Amino acid sequence: MSYLEYNTKYVPTGFRKLLYLNWPVIMLLIAVASFGFLMLFSVAGGSAQPWMEPQMERFAVGLALMLVVAMVPIWFWRNMSVVAYLVSIALLVAVEFVGVERNGSQRWLDLGFMDLQPSEMAKITMVMILAAYYDWLPAKKTSHPLYVLIPVFLIMLPTYFVLAQPDLGTSLLLVAGGGAMMFFAGVHWAYFATVILTGVSLVFAVFQSRGTPYQILQDYQYRRIDTFLDPANDPLGAGYHITQAKIAFGSGGWTGRGFMQGTQSRLNFLPEKHTDFIFTTLAEEFGFLGAMGLLTLYLLIILFCIVSAVNNRDRFASLLTLGIAMTFFLFFALNMAMVTGLAPVVGVPLPLVSYGGSAMLVLMVAFGLVQSAHVHRPR
Amino acid sequence: MIRTPLRPLARVLEARDNGDDPALIEAENKRLRHEAMRDKARLRAEGRLLVLGAMFFCAFMTIGIRMGALASSEPEEPRAAVAGNPIIGQRSDIVDRNGRILATNLETHSLYAHPQDMVDPEFAAAELAHIFPELDEEKLLANFTGDRKFLWIRKQISPEQLQAVHDIGSPGLLFGPREMRLYPNGPIAAHILGGASYGREGVASAEVIGVAGVERFFDAYLRDPANEGAPLELSIDLTVQAASEQVLAGGMSIMNAKGATSVLMNIDTGEIISMVSLPDFDPNNRPPVLTTGDQSDSPLFNRAVQGVYELGSVFKIFTIAQAMDLNLVNPETLIDTTGPLTWGRFKIRDFRNYGPELTTTDIIVKSSNVGTARIANMIGADRQREFLNSLGFLEPTTVEMVEAPTGKPLLPRNWSEISTMTISYGHGLSSSPLHLAAGYASLLNGGTRVQPTLLRQDTVQTGDRVVREAVSTRSRDMLRQVVERGTASFGEVAGYKVGGKTGTADKPRERGGGYYDDKVIATFASVFPADDPQYVLIVTLDEPVESSGDEPRRTAGWTAVPVAAEMIRRVAPLLGMRPEVETLEPIGVTLTSN
Repeated sequence: MSYLEYNTKYVPTGFRKLLYLNWPVIMLLIAVASFGFLMLFSVAGGSAQPWMEPQMERFAVGLALMLVVAMVPIWFWRNMSVVAYLVSIALLVAVEFVGVERNGSQRWLDLGFMDLQPSEMAKITMVMILAAYYDWLPAKKTSHPLYVLIPVFLIMLPTYFVLAQPDLGTSLLLVAGGGAMMFFAGVHWAYFATVILTGVSLVFAVFQSRGTPYQILQDYQYRRIDTFLDPANDPLGAGYHITQAKIAFGSGGWTGRGFMQGTQSRLNFLPEKHTDFIFTTLAEEFGFLGAMGLLTLYLLIILFCIVSAVNNRDRFASLLTLGIAMTFFLFFALNMAMVTGLAPVVGVPLPLVSYGGSAMLVLMVAFGLVQSAHVHRPR
Repeated sequence: MIRTPLRPLARVLEARDNGDDPALIEAENKRLRHEAMRDKARLRAEGRLLVLGAMFFCAFMTIGIRMGALASSEPEEPRAAVAGNPIIGQRSDIVDRNGRILATNLETHSLYAHPQDMVDPEFAAAELAHIFPELDEEKLLANFTGDRKFLWIRKQISPEQLQAVHDIGSPGLLFGPREMRLYPNGPIAAHILGGASYGREGVASAEVIGVAGVERFFDAYLRDPANEGAPLELSIDLTVQAASEQVLAGGMSIMNAKGATSVLMNIDTGEIISMVSLPDFDPNNRPPVLTTGDQSDSPLFNRAVQGVYELGSVFKIFTIAQAMDLNLVNPETLIDTTGPLTWGRFKIRDFRNYGPELTTTDIIVKSSNVGTARIANMIGADRQREFLNSLGFLEPTTVEMVEAPTGKPLLPRNWSEISTMTISYGHGLSSSPLHLAAGYASLLNGGTRVQPTLLRQDTVQTGDRVVREAVSTRSRDMLRQVVERGTASFGEVAGYKVGGKTGTADKPRERGGGYYDDKVIATFASVFPADDPQYVLIVTLDEPVESSGDEPRRTAGWTAVPVAAEMIRRVAPLLGMRPEVETLEPIGVTLTSN
């Protein structure tokens, strides 16, 4: 059901909208970002440069962007979702040809004033178009095979380009986020069961066939998978980050070594200490309590988003909020799992805390959409 | 699934009876169905949200428990990170043929600064300027108090300096391990070794890369960690090399030459035992490459390999040997030497008039250009060219140095008959002294081609045959006679039966055609002992002048030959050769045994 069918006369207008924002979410976002500022200050050796100040500036810009996006009615964004999706696909294609290459993968577009990472944008636009799609699709057709194939295609298209960059982490997030959207939209559970079963049995077959005459992969491919899954085998090579991150957790203990007292990051043991691995600095300096604190803040953000989604009778707005919450969740869960050695290192930043421009701005725009959905919900 | 009809007939009839609008019933039923559907969707959505919630909770618990487990664990360094040398894979050593070190590594430290960690920048800057006088205190202080996060202070410091900097006690001054290439013998064999420099540099280590000579040629081998502990063995003999350098430097100064070079080569294996180029340099501290002027004036220039010169009469023996090999002449054949020999607008003259006829042997002994040119005419351009090619004079040498390809011989553009005649006595074709050494070795070792090499060899080279063995022997006899009664009489070294050929070539002018009359390249190409040849020695002096007599003398017999003789006198014992004493008939002595 779409917004046209609802009575929208109670929707606030003008600056009154500010009163109807989802303020708890905004407060939580600021709290999480502040954690980030502290950590960036600390890893720079007690200096606002080179990371904290630009990060604060970007967060301020992000907050402003979020408010602007929140002021625009949600139905406008619904109508824009196809355009947004097509633009992000075009940018992904552009990256393939004119992208800037760093660390062996081509992910960035040089815009002059900033570097844009279109794969970050694609996460949100994919959620938007899926929400719009299920809003448009009559509920009883949701599980029709043809109407299941369309969103699968919509997910696979950006995933293909991101995988070609190559960026395994982001493409995993895209597939997981898109799958979750389909799940929320009510696609029959049998589809998911089939996909999951097929995947599991395929992985099982690959590993079972190892060493038999019917071996599916080559020996060196198995060895690569081994190192990928268990970097501890190679503590100075592929597992270096993880080993050092674990040391940081152990050295932090329950209450931490104290602000700016972390040794692992201060003494340069950790590469990527200000981006993907910033959580280890936090764990070392504020200990288990600090880490759990940040985790709790993240979960509260998710919780508020879910509550907002449940109370929203507009299908697009509800699905969009859920999808963004899911993307956000996958982001930090994967990062934390990676840093604590539960998941292989795939290169996912910690949202709002890791140093980085594109990711933060895109995330703030996404929360602007969540706010817009909240403000303009049918009452 | 049983569908409830939107317009049930019974209710429509009932409504008609009551006078209501039957369409309302349809609308009512539509609304009910819609609501039922929405409730179902809602229920499903809520179920799915529950699944999602459960998933979030699981994730939260997993990560939380994991963090708790890590937090309660003891921090443990991976063991491999503690043990072992921080520098992995040292560059291999380079040693001479007897295993004496020519190049090795020294572990030193680099010094760098993190200004933001400094407690007292003024004190640190003052102390550093005191320890390293070449550093400027004010500049250091400006760097320490400015915005810089990182600063190299010195790339290499000595242990004493390390201790002194350590005693400053500033936490912002840090040391990194660094490997340094060391040439313990200083300038000895500098051109052969070349030198090394730093590639990519970091605080933890720096990459050492070869920049010239064998260091560069064998860079991949020397850097390969698999070869660690397996030094690169050169053919050089350190003591012979040192003695050669000393003698040549003395000779160069006595003969007032601006440069000098010598090559001592084993005649059978092609091993270069010593190779000197003067002026030289210290590879521990390579001079900068010249940015203006002639690169051949730089001490970095290796005259023996890179320098190509018209070497003059030393080439005559090749002409005579080929003619003998082709059975055109024998050592006793009389050749017309009336000069000058006129060919077109060219006139070929001898240094002095040797009369109307000379035997082939005397052409070599007296060094007659006219006679050699007449013999070359009999051979012809094509056969001469082919013969010189078989001796390696038309291509750069294959010696194991990066500089070798730049020592490319200069050939006449058009190998005409006049070229054939001038080349026969060493003009019109420029080659390096190393080419000459290889050519002499190939001709005199019995007549098989040898290639020069800088690597220690265990076996004799078996190259293609260049001349018949008999021709090789006859050539040696002729060369011996040059020393006994010819132009190289100063070349006699008692007991070593030196044979050789002199060559004095006017230097071509840099611009315009023609030659200088007061600048020569004097060369003595020798072989010893002449009856059982083992080594070939080439000595070349650049612009020598011997001024002890009434007028300055520049010919090789007065300049290069005495230097070469002195060198043989010095190095032959080092090579393990005993002087051959002529045995007298035992008169009045009876050897008895009981």
